[in-house]
Amino acid sequence: MSLQNLIMSLQRFWADQGCYLAQPYDVEVGAGTMTPDTFFRVLDDRDWKVAYVQPSRRPTDGRFGENPHRVQKHFQYQVIIKPAPSDIQKMYIDSLTSLGIDLQEHDLRFDEDDWESPTIGAWGVGWQVLLDGLEITQFTYFQQAGGIDLSPVPVEITYGLERLEMFLEEKDNIFDLNWSDDVTYRELRVREEKEFSEYNFNQADVQLLHSSFQKNHREAQRLVDKGLLLPAYDMCLKCSHFFNLLDSRGAISVTERVKMISQIRVVVNRIAQKFTSQEVSA
Amino acid sequence: MEFLLEIITEEMPSVHVKGALMQLENRLAEGLIANKLVDGKDSFGKIRTYGTCRRLILHGGFVEKQQDKQETIVGPPRSVAFTEDGSATPAAIGFAKSQGVNVGDLEIIQTEKGDYVGINKIEAGKPTPDILEQILPNIIGTLSFPKMMRWGDSSFRFSRPIKSILCLFDRKSLHFSVNGVPAKNFTTGHKIYSPKKLKVETFAEYRALLKQNGVVIDPEERRTQILKQAEKKLARLEAKLHPDNQLLEKLTYDVEHPYVFLGCFPQEYLNLPLEVLSTAMREGQRLFSVLKGKKQLPYFLGVADAYKDPKFLIRKGNERVLKARMEDAKFFWEQDVISSLKEKSKKLDQIIFQERLGSYQDKTDRLKKIVAYIADRLELQAEKNAATGAAELCKVDLMTDMVREFPSLQGKMGGLYAKEEGYAILVWKAIYEHYQPVSLDDSSPSSMTGAILSIADKLDTIVGATGVGIEVSGSKDPFGIRRNAHGVCKIIQEKKLSFSFPRLLDKVINTMKDRLVREKEDVKYYVLDFFKSRLQHIFESQGYRYDLVKASLAPGLDNVYHSYLRLEALDSLKDSPQFGPMIKIAKRVNNILRNQSQYKVNEELLLEKQERELHTTFSIIRDNILPMIAIGDFAKVQRMIFRMRSSINDFFDHVLVMADDKRLRRNRLALLQEISRLLSQIADYSLVVIEG
Repeated sequence: MSLQNLIMSLQRFWADQGCYLAQPYDVEVGAGTMTPDTFFRVLDDRDWKVAYVQPSRRPTDGRFGENPHRVQKHFQYQVIIKPAPSDIQKMYIDSLTSLGIDLQEHDLRFDEDDWESPTIGAWGVGWQVLLDGLEITQFTYFQQAGGIDLSPVPVEITYGLERLEMFLEEKDNIFDLNWSDDVTYRELRVREEKEFSEYNFNQADVQLLHSSFQKNHREAQRLVDKGLLLPAYDMCLKCSHFFNLLDSRGAISVTERVKMISQIRVVVNRIAQKFTSQEVSA
Repeated sequence: MEFLLEIITEEMPSVHVKGALMQLENRLAEGLIANKLVDGKDSFGKIRTYGTCRRLILHGGFVEKQQDKQETIVGPPRSVAFTEDGSATPAAIGFAKSQGVNVGDLEIIQTEKGDYVGINKIEAGKPTPDILEQILPNIIGTLSFPKMMRWGDSSFRFSRPIKSILCLFDRKSLHFSVNGVPAKNFTTGHKIYSPKKLKVETFAEYRALLKQNGVVIDPEERRTQILKQAEKKLARLEAKLHPDNQLLEKLTYDVEHPYVFLGCFPQEYLNLPLEVLSTAMREGQRLFSVLKGKKQLPYFLGVADAYKDPKFLIRKGNERVLKARMEDAKFFWEQDVISSLKEKSKKLDQIIFQERLGSYQDKTDRLKKIVAYIADRLELQAEKNAATGAAELCKVDLMTDMVREFPSLQGKMGGLYAKEEGYAILVWKAIYEHYQPVSLDDSSPSSMTGAILSIADKLDTIVGATGVGIEVSGSKDPFGIRRNAHGVCKIIQEKKLSFSFPRLLDKVINTMKDRLVREKEDVKYYVLDFFKSRLQHIFESQGYRYDLVKASLAPGLDNVYHSYLRLEALDSLKDSPQFGPMIKIAKRVNNILRNQSQYKVNEELLLEKQERELHTTFSIIRDNILPMIAIGDFAKVQRMIFRMRSSINDFFDHVLVMADDKRLRRNRLALLQEISRLLSQIADYSLVVIEG
């Protein structure tokens, strides 16, 4: 099975479960959780079912395309269902079976791994799902986002697409994966990994990143005051990405790190609060 | 009659399972007692618990119902209730009516005051199922876990979502529900192999049926299976597991059907240190490393939740993942050894320890001074240079790739890199061990250099954090102050390190220069107080009596090791016949001195024979024990103090302390004050609880 077939299978499966298939968000994020289709939609009490591919950027994970497992950009398959169905674990297991995996021949484990994102004031309880020792999915019951207790509780299922594909193709090297029958992951991504690793680690302009962080942070605050919450949230995502780049440049001390994360969180929490109070009045 | 409860949940962490089973057992037992369903202590033994990451199981044998209650209700006297010809008076009719019986049902009850009419009521005991149905929802619903979650749209909290409940009493299912999940009479088998409903009536049937369907409910049985299978797989290699009880414990609960598999990895990774290999295996994949003697073999053992692995898919999958992790580790090692620790240490000033306390370079400079001071105090000239050398490099590994990837290897990696560079064993061991002990269960550094460096590092953190206003409160302890204090106490106790603790604190505080926000004296007394409360906790958890701990800590923390010796001495004497009387008399001395001003003894005013004798005995004993106190020989000190008892007794029997003559009174008080002062250097005996 190729990566694109894997994506299509998951799309088919989760569409059959009633999920709306969203398209990837167009601002850099470190994880699918941060996209508006997840962040805003988990805050209210309305039912919500969505599934989508989301590219995720983690600049410090770059290895110049030389490491067989680490890349500074990878693809997640994100599923959010609210409220979490009582048989969601079975549903997830069925999704693996639908990919042709005979689980009776493997070792599938839900291994305690609680998830937390201090940047967007979110945390949840759940597992990393291990398939024969390989982490293929993060499975989380959200408890809080934007500093707000969530009710009803949504479930988030995040498949690591490359990991899962490596399992299916029994490959040791991410770049050997087949995206389609004719196109390999290497052809598509190796140059990108090389150039972005060089940029992330050695070239990104620290001054520019610092000032971009501060400008976007100010803009986010201004937009919250105006009640423009979606644009304000975009600014926070940009801040988060600038922060990650500064981190990979080794330009952030421990205390600065705490300070900058809390700077973003404070605005995100305000956005969440305003968003939910608007929901109530509307 | 047989009782069986099974709560099926999504996968819980192993510590949650163990904690919940203990709570279930205790609270059900309490509920049975409160509802009079237990006759004596016997029935406690009849509750047993089992569990996996998906099941909390409790099996017991309880009585069928409460005992019937017989109650006698006495009405009017017989003479009032019935006339002489035996007919009922309005009094009898009224009483019968009030009790809801006929007059004919009234009985004659003989009492001390004569015959009365009345009734014997029998209240039937409630059936056990009724009571269980009433108490179980609350018992289950209020179980507590280290971290809890909500699900669905209810505010109910548990470790993980509850999927189903099986609850039987005498083969029949009980009727109750928890957060909308009703109790039923079926369980389900293994999640992957047999996820179907299984109807059961008895525990024997339940246990057998689950076994057929891929679930071993008894943790002990699973642990034995894991160890046996492991032994079998390793026999051919003449090897054994790298012992890791925490991992074994976790895996025992994580799987419902253990299957042990042996995998291997390429020889080339054996060049990596054992610590790195075992960490790479344990973290992430939960694998055991395999040893032959002390040598790591290129094999690992995994525990799968599976029946078997006929196509070796589980083994091969794990091998692939592990190879990738080892490739990473090898890459990190090779990157890290390119430059020396000395070279790397130049960048210590670029990482912040704490905003006000400065960089790790600042911390390193302080550690060198503190380490040198401790070595001097303990007269360890041979170790002094090695320990300060280790202090200089001990934090460098925070900048290595390996520690960034595996933070749990901090310290150890520094030690291993130092060893690789050819540093002396006293140096690299000290670096390797300087985070130890990381908990009260962890072992202290084996080397004296490691012990000194560990104490210095921990006190620097405790004093620094406290001095800039970071305090421990409840579950908040960002700098691990509590854990660090435990470590310091444990090392001092185990290594028998005798030195002035307040003066060491002065030294540490002085190395901080003007970094602290709080007043120096403030910090010192806060830290002393904090250590006192930690020692109390440690000693009590070691099983010492609460009051003895308090009494031994009362003289202050001039020397932490001495507090322990004081306690040990007191504890060893607590069963001797002299103990009680001595405590009593010490309390008497303290009582009489309460609210008195301080006076001085004038020997010429010691008129009575018994007070002269007490003064002489006391003086001799004091001169003898002061040097013993200084070296901490408290067992001897206590025994000598006991010898003073008869003199004090005689004194109280024959001498009137509160004499009318002011000068005599003050002189006698002065004598007792001197005794009390001496005693207070050993223990505060008034805090010891004695019976009678």
